Amino acid sequence: MAAAATTSGWRWGRILAWLAVLAVFAALAGAYGWYKFFREEPQPDWITSDPEMRFKYGSIGAERDAGIPYWIFYVLPRVFPEKLPGPGGYASLGVSWEQGQELPIGFTKKVVGFPRIGNNCAACHTANYRLGENENPTFVTAGNGHTLNLVAFFRYLVDCAKDPRFNADILMREIELVTDLSLVDRAIYRFILIPITKKRLLEREAQFAWIYHKGFPEWGRGRDDAMNLTKYFMLELPMDQTFGPTDIPSIWNLKKYAAAGTTMNWAGDSHDVYSVIIDSALGLLGAPPKNNAEFLAEVKWLQDYLGNKAPPKYPVPIDAAKAAAGKVVFDATCAECHASDRTARRMPLKAVDTDPERIGTWNKANAIAANKVVAGFGIERKGLVEADLEGYNPPFLDGVWLRAPYLHNGSVPTLRDLLEPPGKRPKVFWRGYDLYDPANVGFVSSGPEAERVGTRHDTAERANSNRGHVFGTELPTAQKDALLEYLKTL
Amino acid sequence: MTQAAARPPLLARLFAHRWARVLAVLLAVPTLAALALGVWVWQRFAGDVPVEYADIEEHFKYGSTGGERESGFPYWIFQALPQVCAEHLPGKGYASLGMIFEEGKDLPVGMSKRRYTGIDRTFLNCAVCHASTVRDAPDAKPRLYLGMPAANLDIMAFEKFFFGCAKDPKFSAEYIVPEARRLVQAQGGDLDLLDRYLVYPVAVALMRERLLMLAGRFSFVMDQPAWGPGRVDTFNSAKVIFNFPMHRLPDHEKNAPADFPSIWLQQPREGMQLHWDGNNTAVTERNKSAAFGTGTTPPTIDLANIGRIEHWLLTKEPPKYPYPVDAARAARGAALYQEYCAGCHGAGPRDFRGEHVGRVMPIEAIGTDRRRLDSYTYDLAVNQGTLYAGYDWRFKSFRKTHGYANMPLDGLWLRAPYLHNGSVPSLRDLLEPASARPQRFYRGNDVYDPVRVGFVSDVPAYGARRFFAFDTAIPGNANAGHEGPRYGTALAAADKDALVEFLKTF
Repeated sequence: MAAAATTSGWRWGRILAWLAVLAVFAALAGAYGWYKFFREEPQPDWITSDPEMRFKYGSIGAERDAGIPYWIFYVLPRVFPEKLPGPGGYASLGVSWEQGQELPIGFTKKVVGFPRIGNNCAACHTANYRLGENENPTFVTAGNGHTLNLVAFFRYLVDCAKDPRFNADILMREIELVTDLSLVDRAIYRFILIPITKKRLLEREAQFAWIYHKGFPEWGRGRDDAMNLTKYFMLELPMDQTFGPTDIPSIWNLKKYAAAGTTMNWAGDSHDVYSVIIDSALGLLGAPPKNNAEFLAEVKWLQDYLGNKAPPKYPVPIDAAKAAAGKVVFDATCAECHASDRTARRMPLKAVDTDPERIGTWNKANAIAANKVVAGFGIERKGLVEADLEGYNPPFLDGVWLRAPYLHNGSVPTLRDLLEPPGKRPKVFWRGYDLYDPANVGFVSSGPEAERVGTRHDTAERANSNRGHVFGTELPTAQKDALLEYLKTL
Repeated sequence: MTQAAARPPLLARLFAHRWARVLAVLLAVPTLAALALGVWVWQRFAGDVPVEYADIEEHFKYGSTGGERESGFPYWIFQALPQVCAEHLPGKGYASLGMIFEEGKDLPVGMSKRRYTGIDRTFLNCAVCHASTVRDAPDAKPRLYLGMPAANLDIMAFEKFFFGCAKDPKFSAEYIVPEARRLVQAQGGDLDLLDRYLVYPVAVALMRERLLMLAGRFSFVMDQPAWGPGRVDTFNSAKVIFNFPMHRLPDHEKNAPADFPSIWLQQPREGMQLHWDGNNTAVTERNKSAAFGTGTTPPTIDLANIGRIEHWLLTKEPPKYPYPVDAARAARGAALYQEYCAGCHGAGPRDFRGEHVGRVMPIEAIGTDRRRLDSYTYDLAVNQGTLYAGYDWRFKSFRKTHGYANMPLDGLWLRAPYLHNGSVPSLRDLLEPASARPQRFYRGNDVYDPVRVGFVSDVPAYGARRFFAFDTAIPGNANAGHEGPRYGTALAAADKDALVEFLKTF
């Protein structure tokens, strides 16, 4: 009996010892897995310590769920160059890319287990311009990303994933040409990251159905069908037949919206700056924030940065006397809507009578549903205006010289054209070329280079109409010139 | 414990059985055999051994940049191809491409050798584009100068040879392996069975596949007018690194051949705007960029080997002008130099100080052919910022410029033909207005012309040695610009002669 008891005790001891060993191994494996897939390293100091750099390259947390593994992102243009709009890799998408930087502005690199690429606000909200052909671009953070071909970027990633050549053999061959990964990291890329990335990108295809819709024209450079993005991604609604791409707006000087009664976005669909930043950032995250406090702290920082970011000064000398004369014209003709208590407030469509398509892309039910989703994340904000849209808000005009093309849908290339009656405005032009045209206040929108670099905008196509906003079109030429000179000062 | 100690050890108990001993032997034999095979395979196919040279000049000529690892040609295939694909070469052997063979060497200057993955490989190094020869007369012996532009190397013909050969049905083991074996046997050795039936046939197939891929990516080169010797379309070639779809480039970016530069005296150039258009101010980054041309990739570059060359080039002096110089005339030229040239090209032969030295001159001001400038785009510059990502030496210094950089003139006598596109054969011609410069001349002759200061350019051939007819009317070849009173083209003939005399001393 005693011997049996001893044997049995010994057996239990052995089992327990083995279990302990297993537990240690499991813990080690778990720690290793956490390290390889989830540990977060802060971004380098040069990004986090400088507000401009932080806005341009700082993470808002989008790498976690929407991030693309760094080396996949790196080699895609080399493996699939033919799917991009032109030669130049990602540069052909019209991103703002500073020389000497590893990534374009608005593309963020962060280690979450492994280096990943996400996006932040600056991807869309950085403007660039050149004053001469023999000049490099000047970047204006918080500006309107008028060169960015956002829809081409969306499609590019999905198109790559759909290609049978998006596989571990081909991507790893290219990755091994540019970096020396450890055996473990190679295996992780080959067996986990490449297949998962392909799957995740393919999952987007259904939600992106409308950007493949044959009946809709191209958004073109500098435009975003923002409310449809929200419907199909945040609300996961099935595709409807609405279509309303609008100009990517400038987002400097946001403190101007502090006045009571103002609403945000082209059609006044959101209550305040805080809500708009939250909703836009959630779109980039593609998932609920991992940590609401951290997320909202970043939103607050952005609100503060963008609230105080001054609009850019016009970079060419201004004729002060002419501008002073223009102010008189402005006060008589424009101020009623653009510098008054009507500014940034809702206004019925018939007042301006511009292209109505953007109005149709969003409604009260959508707003209620979206507010519910965000509330469900445990985030409190005033949120989207729970009412059907009725028209477009007359915008503030700060920095308007850089905000070409004009009208909400970017259907008029220059301010001078906007002062012409709709019938005399250009019917077809090219948008997204960065050479500035000081004579007409806007960007050069025709000619060989504009047509090579830019995207064609045909005002006869859906959502592209240049109708409406006939204000000031009857002014004598001298007054128009003076008014243009004054608008440069804003 | 006491109980266990009392019993014989487990193995002893086991081997008490005869069947166990038999089994052990049966298991041990294949295990040992597999182990031995493993060791043999490892010593046969592992290893990464470049041919090293203690002497820095030999290292520059024949040392490895690491390019063989990714891009190397299997050595014996390389040696067999001129016979197998003779019709794809302009003449006999690699020498007909303008490559330089020193006596007793099996590889031309500018090619290195490394044993990697069980096969000897060879590929280009820096010297292939940055070394050349000079003769005093057509029948004189050539002198080799290191660091000067490879004025006679026809790199386009080099590309055409390999791509053309790869597309030829004769690029197969059936033709290449016997020729390779014949060459080895001629040296008294032989390819072993493994080489003959496995290693080389596989190498032929892989090399062909790779060349065909590169032929596709470089097909834009084949659409260009011949560059002629001494020139390369540098930055359109650089776009291939990123696999830009070259057929979609706008016309103004195409056809941008430029002369190979001299690469001596780099130390005083640190911080200058380097490359013809001054697109980079960091010497080591510029060097790593050039090293892509020697087949390197970020993971395979041999930084130690390249470091030796970089260090040597920092202070490497250009060769002295070997012909008589008229001191009095040169002294007169020195004064003219100070007046006309020093501000842009440096205070003296080794004094690179000057307001505009190493700085870009706007294209409108310099007026030379703009294709090389236009081939380098802002989009390429930002893409180059991704090179060496993940390494501390990621590229950060490439910048789009809008003109050409003013160069120091050290060793100028060896840097003919002149202007970035080599469109002016001699210094004396450069001092003429563009309308009086030769419209057509010959490049690729290494016989020196001490009167006009440059290589002899009016002779189409010496017997079988035929030279390249350079036509300044072809896109990319314009000899305009760098002219007008400020550039000395309005000086009196005697003054021009004096200036040229002084420039011989650089």
